[in-house]
Amino acid sequence: MNDIDLANERALRARRSVVDMAAGEVGCHLGGSMSVLDILVAAYAVAAARPGTEVVLSKGHAAAALYAVLHQIGVIEEDPAPRYGLAGEPYTGHPGPKVPGVRFPTGSLGHGAAYAAGWALSRRLLGEPGGAIAVVGDGELQEGLIWETLQVVQAKRISGLTLVVDVNGGQNDGYVSDISPLTDLPARFAAFGFEVVETDGHDIEKLMDALVPGERPRVVLAATVKAKGVPAAEGRASSHYVKITPARARQWKAAMV
Amino acid sequence: MLSGRDAYKDELTALAAGDERIICLEADLGGPKHPFAEKHPGRFLNLGIAEGAAVDIAVGLASAGLRPFLSTFAAFGTWRAAESVKLGLGYLGAPVVLVCPYGGVSGGWFGPTHHSLEDLAVARSLPGLRIAVPCGEAETREVIRAAAAADRPCYVRLARNETYDAPFAPAGHGEVGWVTPAGDGTTTCLVSVGEKPAQLCGRAAEQDPRLAHAHLCWVDDESLALAAGELAAGARRLVVVEEHREAGGVAAALALLLPQHEVRAVNAGPSWPSEGGGHDDILTALGLTVPAVLAAAVPAPRTSQGGIT
Repeated sequence: MNDIDLANERALRARRSVVDMAAGEVGCHLGGSMSVLDILVAAYAVAAARPGTEVVLSKGHAAAALYAVLHQIGVIEEDPAPRYGLAGEPYTGHPGPKVPGVRFPTGSLGHGAAYAAGWALSRRLLGEPGGAIAVVGDGELQEGLIWETLQVVQAKRISGLTLVVDVNGGQNDGYVSDISPLTDLPARFAAFGFEVVETDGHDIEKLMDALVPGERPRVVLAATVKAKGVPAAEGRASSHYVKITPARARQWKAAMV
Repeated sequence: MLSGRDAYKDELTALAAGDERIICLEADLGGPKHPFAEKHPGRFLNLGIAEGAAVDIAVGLASAGLRPFLSTFAAFGTWRAAESVKLGLGYLGAPVVLVCPYGGVSGGWFGPTHHSLEDLAVARSLPGLRIAVPCGEAETREVIRAAAAADRPCYVRLARNETYDAPFAPAGHGEVGWVTPAGDGTTTCLVSVGEKPAQLCGRAAEQDPRLAHAHLCWVDDESLALAAGELAAGARRLVVVEEHREAGGVAAALALLLPQHEVRAVNAGPSWPSEGGGHDDILTALGLTVPAVLAAAVPAPRTSQGGIT
């Protein structure tokens, strides 16, 4: 099995795990977890090949996808799905540093991008290799802290930072285009000095190519589908947070190929 | 003699010569010709007017093993960046040192946007932070050294440009700074927090020699728990004088720590001082005066019902 096939296999298994979490006691943020999942698989694959590279899931509500992917790549040994959201377990609805492989607490939107910028800057100051891949949501771009951070990244030329935007078009209360549309994102990021790459956010091979850092800070605008992999929910804003029955979970998983 | 603000810059510049991990971050309020920038340009970054991002970026640096010191005015470092401080320095416990001049009303005529009478409430609400309000050059230097040596998050509140000759040994580890020692446990002890309160208490104690005077530099709960025992052993009544609101202040904390003692508060009260003037003028407008300290130090006469008038 080559690297891409392995990554796709991991993504499929992780998707099934997210469905299991949606069928757990508390449900989960299914839509955004499924949209970002391939991005996370690609990001960790790129980071594994580049020592000193930190992956930060800034859209922390997609914790289910993060735990599932970290389990698939062996960072979390136990299966997090039956433990998600339960008392005494570290697998909270937004990730924190008690979870293996998680360095920063995220979920309050915008902070992860800034932590990642700090980490990337640390590589330069320490004279060590690596950088940071921050994964943000498109709705998250409504946070002022994101743009404050971009300003600092541009001013201080933090070239080791790659920002991946999971452009799934949805947010908690509906569609981004209805609530606070994000016009002309490529031009906005270009104006902050970022190299802009647009790609299919569910093509892991293309994502892995896009995530290899360059000379300038980079943004990867990854076009994704909310709830990708669950046809009954794909593209629907209502998939943002989902709690399903175990029978429905079996149905959804069986349909995944 | 240097102000606390300048002592911070000077001390950190000296410390960085022996500690490669130290990084100096500013958010456009460090002033020109910053000594750290001149001595260690590769480790000095003015991140611009971006306090929230600055705290988060400092957290990222700290998590990578560096020791960032980030400075901006107290009102912005605590309130503008409050959530970043909560998550990064509180929840995560990243060893970032947030050094904030313009504490209290040292900003004077700059007005309420630049006053900070609520910063300690923010910092003190976050478990794990060490919090210092040093008085004068020597104590500021001691606090910066202690902060650099500890792998812990820390908030340091400074004032503006005035200099202070502090009449007590600098506190590096939470000691009580005794200006006038308390006696046999029956006396009234003034407890000052910060530079101007230390001055007010000093003048009050000159006028009433029966009053003891203790200065507190470290005011996080961990430090106050240690100080409370020492204060309680020497005095029956404590009069806490602080340039801060009542909520989240030191008097309230000591009252909870010492339920058998009488703890009184002289603080900034509830008003928003929105007229010009210097630091002392604003303090007077707030009622932080020597007569107010003396009034609080005198036991109130009891009514026939046993209450306090």
